[in-house]
Amino acid sequence: MLRFFITFVVLQGVFFGVELTPWAQEYFVEPWTRTLAAISSWLVAVVDPNVAAAGKVIRSNANGFAVSIEAGCNGVEATIVLIAAMCAFPADWRQKLVGLAFGVLAVQGLNIVRVISLFYLGQWDLQMFEWAHLYVWQALIMLDVLVVWLVWVRMLPAANRGGNRGGPSGGSAAPASA
Amino acid sequence: MASASRSPLPGFIARVFAWLPPAFFVWYLSAPVLLWPATLLVSLVSRMGFADLVGGTEQAGATLVFATALKPGGIMPQGGQITVDVNLLLYAFGLPLYAALVLAAREPGWPRRLIVGYAVLMPVVAWGALADFLKNVAITSGPMVASQTGFVAWQRELIAFAYQFGSLILPTVVPAVVWVLTHRRFLERLKTDTEKPGAS
Repeated sequence: MLRFFITFVVLQGVFFGVELTPWAQEYFVEPWTRTLAAISSWLVAVVDPNVAAAGKVIRSNANGFAVSIEAGCNGVEATIVLIAAMCAFPADWRQKLVGLAFGVLAVQGLNIVRVISLFYLGQWDLQMFEWAHLYVWQALIMLDVLVVWLVWVRMLPAANRGGNRGGPSGGSAAPASA
Repeated sequence: MASASRSPLPGFIARVFAWLPPAFFVWYLSAPVLLWPATLLVSLVSRMGFADLVGGTEQAGATLVFATALKPGGIMPQGGQITVDVNLLLYAFGLPLYAALVLAAREPGWPRRLIVGYAVLMPVVAWGALADFLKNVAITSGPMVASQTGFVAWQRELIAFAYQFGSLILPTVVPAVVWVLTHRRFLERLKTDTEKPGAS
């Protein structure tokens, strides 16, 4: 348990530190955020032709309402947490890669739902938009990360999930803690 | 990969979603009281570490107001001092998430687990609020105010990192981590194929 926890904290700090570097922002975060805006507007355009994306901004041509996808809303930090949690957990690299592939897809998929829902929520009620944006969706995305990680841990072979390799269980006879 | 049949996870997730709305409701209504310890922490740290910047702090609802010794530049009248408002809820939304996770797990001793999580999350809120204040006065308020703070370049970089870490990572990650750490036996059961009836 302790090894998992320390590795998780260290990895997360390192990944987050790298994410904040100008290099990572220019070559990964910004392009990804623009891609996210493009994917979101493309999906919305299927049912609403009055939507366009320009850079990281999604705009309604019908009423002029626009949302800009900023840090914290592009799912990068949630993905970093998931990557750190899966890398820190004792499993072989194949299991980690499979988990990461599906996990990142699940987190980013829900994040697209977040962006689209906020885009329409903002056009309906700005107060609700603020609430959902600042509090509710933040919690839901982290809940998504936690659930994805729990599902992945549960699907690991028994040797990994219940063994003595330093995972969160700390062995099969882990005491209750609080 | 092992089979995930008869998983207790869907039931747990459904209960989390059921608990989230009331948890958010209670959190929002009781925030002025719930977040008072975080305000106290910020006040203590400000007094110890930033006494030259912070004249005092005051909580108004879920907003923490920093009274500073800094003078506004430019068109503001002489003699005025800057105050900075920080919305504490921005750094405290992990509380309802943690409460929903604890209540959904339905473990014995859940009140104690709630208290443990609450105690761990208060410094997170304090970190976010203080970093938000420092970012405001040292970076986003403009050069006329920032120059009075005395922070050099590397200190401003550190403040920027502390703010980003305190707003993007800590409020979301800490509730999940504390929940994992305080629910190891529950996680053990999640990993097996049968949900223990006694856990309900």
